[in-house]
Amino acid sequence: MSSNNGRPILEDVNVIVAGQGGDGSLTVITMLAELLRTNGLNVYTERDVLSRIRGGHAAATMRAFTGDRYCIGSNINLLVALDEEAVEKNARQLDSKSIVVYDDSGGPVPSVLPEGTKVYSAPFNRIAMRTMRRELYKNSIAFGVVGRLLGLEDETLRETFIKHFQRMGQVILEYNLEALGLGFHLADEKGIHEGEGLYKIKKSAPEKRLLITGNESVAFGFMVAGGRFFCGYPITPSSEVLETLQKWLPRCGGVARQTEDELAGINMAIGAALTGTRAMVATSGPGFSLMQEGVGHCGSGEIPLVIVDCQRSGPSTGMPTKPEQSDLNLMVFGGHGDFPRIVLTPGHPDDCFYLTVDATNLADKYQCPVFLAMDQALSQNIATVEPFNLDGVSAVPGKRLEAGDIEKLGVYKRYEFTEDNISAFAAPGTPGGLSLVTGNEHNEWGLVSTDPVNRVKMMNKRMNKIEVAKDELPRARHFGDQSAKIGFIGIGSLFGVILEAMEDLQREGVKTQYLQPRTIWPVLEDIHAFIEKCSRVYVVELNAQAQLAHILIHQGADPGKIVNILRYDGIPYRPAELVKSVLQAENSSKIKKGKKEAKLQ
Amino acid sequence: MTMQTHIKTFAPARPIWCAGCGDFAVQGVLEKSLHKMGIPPHKLMMLAGIGCSGTIQNNLPCYGYHALHGRVLPAAIGAKLANPDLTVIAAGGDGDGYAIGAGHLVHTFKSNPSIMYIVMNNCNYGLTKGQASPTSPTGYHDNPESGMDSILLGLSFPSATFIARGFSGNPEQLERLMGAALDHTESKKGFAFLEVLSPCVTYYDTHREWRARVYNVDEEEGYDPSDRGMAFQRALQLRAEGRIPIGRIFKGEHASLESLILNKAELPPAQQKVGLDGHREQYKKFIDSYMG
Repeated sequence: MSSNNGRPILEDVNVIVAGQGGDGSLTVITMLAELLRTNGLNVYTERDVLSRIRGGHAAATMRAFTGDRYCIGSNINLLVALDEEAVEKNARQLDSKSIVVYDDSGGPVPSVLPEGTKVYSAPFNRIAMRTMRRELYKNSIAFGVVGRLLGLEDETLRETFIKHFQRMGQVILEYNLEALGLGFHLADEKGIHEGEGLYKIKKSAPEKRLLITGNESVAFGFMVAGGRFFCGYPITPSSEVLETLQKWLPRCGGVARQTEDELAGINMAIGAALTGTRAMVATSGPGFSLMQEGVGHCGSGEIPLVIVDCQRSGPSTGMPTKPEQSDLNLMVFGGHGDFPRIVLTPGHPDDCFYLTVDATNLADKYQCPVFLAMDQALSQNIATVEPFNLDGVSAVPGKRLEAGDIEKLGVYKRYEFTEDNISAFAAPGTPGGLSLVTGNEHNEWGLVSTDPVNRVKMMNKRMNKIEVAKDELPRARHFGDQSAKIGFIGIGSLFGVILEAMEDLQREGVKTQYLQPRTIWPVLEDIHAFIEKCSRVYVVELNAQAQLAHILIHQGADPGKIVNILRYDGIPYRPAELVKSVLQAENSSKIKKGKKEAKLQ
Repeated sequence: MTMQTHIKTFAPARPIWCAGCGDFAVQGVLEKSLHKMGIPPHKLMMLAGIGCSGTIQNNLPCYGYHALHGRVLPAAIGAKLANPDLTVIAAGGDGDGYAIGAGHLVHTFKSNPSIMYIVMNNCNYGLTKGQASPTSPTGYHDNPESGMDSILLGLSFPSATFIARGFSGNPEQLERLMGAALDHTESKKGFAFLEVLSPCVTYYDTHREWRARVYNVDEEEGYDPSDRGMAFQRALQLRAEGRIPIGRIFKGEHASLESLILNKAELPPAQQKVGLDGHREQYKKFIDSYMG
């Protein structure tokens, strides 16, 4: 590579490192993300792994950028392929300007690359084996080449290694530094000299930003909102909520318990909630299915509980590491019998924090189950976000009675009929407040009752709480041109993809607007108003049955205006793919005939 | 138990049990034991499962909770961990505890929380009209299997600390056992497991049979409840002889769950005030740790 003083300043770069599970792709991406972040860039990373510890194709992707981006970009600038499969699997995301660093230990680069792609081949694996006797150093060697290519200084790369590997011991650090040196040497051989990479990296002080996943943000939101009791059972992709809370909750006097199964999980959380403690569970599809009985029980017994569903590809065991939004029906309609519930849908790690605070407050106030609908990408992708504003949130206690209040009232009914349908709660231990809580139909005292008049009144009391709640449920966020005829609706990790697709469409001359619903149950007026003002609304979803669109239609949205864009292949959307789907739908005669199916390429 | 008099709350219900049901004895003994221990109703959280026995909380002045079928133990553990100052008693039947909820029983022996668990064992599903339960003997309603013995199950856990079996037909002994169980949990020693043979007069009246078969280890000279091997051996031997051991079968020592996992420097979860102020320092530390 020749010296080029006119190198562009790094403003947006997408890098994939891919190989077999255990090859260390994630390590390379994690270190790159850390490093670029300390250089003042924002980052977003994504992982694509199989549900196993070693082997199978594994890739990690990182985007480093200035400004605001909320997803991986459409074009990969740099692919680091540690084997042939890594090239084959990821070639679709490359273009003629992409660069590939390829480990040719196993054979020449497969001929699947777009024309013009520049390839730097080197036998990382063989060099690692020959020089270091250990295959596992190949990613550290590759890191040297990648760092040089991106335009990072050798010293900066060394510092990152020291920071990352020091905690694993001096020996491991030294071996890795040696491997990094081999990488620099290799780069020199390929003509990639220090300071001659693709980009000029503007060294600026790192912005005060957090590098965090959605799951970790949920855990923190719960903690800040006064959540003090959490139960979970390990399940991909929700386990980080459990792990984060196990680390942090005890420091605040809370309990984060790994239970024997999800049945114990939700019921133990219910037991804690009965004492007036703010409680939460987190799980994914299979575990959420097991929890259904408990969910309905919270509805009937008016027990506050936050339930986090980190959705993955279903049905059944499905594809545990792949994103999907196919439990929406279960959140909105699941459980036997009729009961009130609230379903919130965050779209980015910072949103996860604020909506979890809301969810925790709402559960306590309305004494019902409140769901957070996550998806694997939102749960596990790492993003830089503005530090959470602790002054902008509050933990508001629900309607509670202390001993003195009960003394004054002279009577306590756990399920008292009230104007706002919410009955005050006295926590066990409060003198005078004896009560019965049950999933049986009950009277105001909590005693089992099948009296038909009471039954109807009690059912209405519970269901009407949601009507009261509507006014304060999190509103949707609006983006784009208010006058655009074409609208988007999409939740979860699709938030960033839709925002970026809108920019691309704008360049194609297609004006759009986007409503990111943050409450999908009950369906609020803001969604109806948005659909009303658009002539066509693309409801983008990661499921096969258009679950979100059906929920909206069920609640009165005009089906004639809704066009479904559905994806359920387990692959996260890139903005350009969404643009293509939309343009195709726009141009197809199907739309004109009023048919509503946009096929994904 | 007198502090409630001037405040009106739910009026404890009359039991729904059939005349002669063993559960009456359990409730009577429980009320006496609570009174003796001086546990006021507002400190008592009484959780019950699904089944005939799962209505006992309605009959007592307490904070009562009717759990989902089989889930009384996790709910009780959640309550205890959230507020360890409460006296937490879980109750249920053999179907609730040994069939649909068996997994939780295993893990409660394992984790040893300071809660009492009373299983009213009548060897059938009384509330659904007498189907075979996990403790029904071979041949009952054509049951092809042998009945299980949860005493043997509990004995296999190194963390088990209190295992006893009473008989509703022997209320004096039951009262001693219940008192010892309450004492065990109130002194924070861990899980008190008390199975009570409680005959179902309607679907499987075992009263006479059990009176003839029970064998009181409390009266056996040389029986040492702290000797796990002996407890296990006697239980097996008696079973082989067609006898049912009752009494204080095992007493062990192990740290209680709440003593192991609650942060003693902080108020327990249920006693903390809701609001941001208590732990701002920790929240700031959390944010800093993600700043890189």
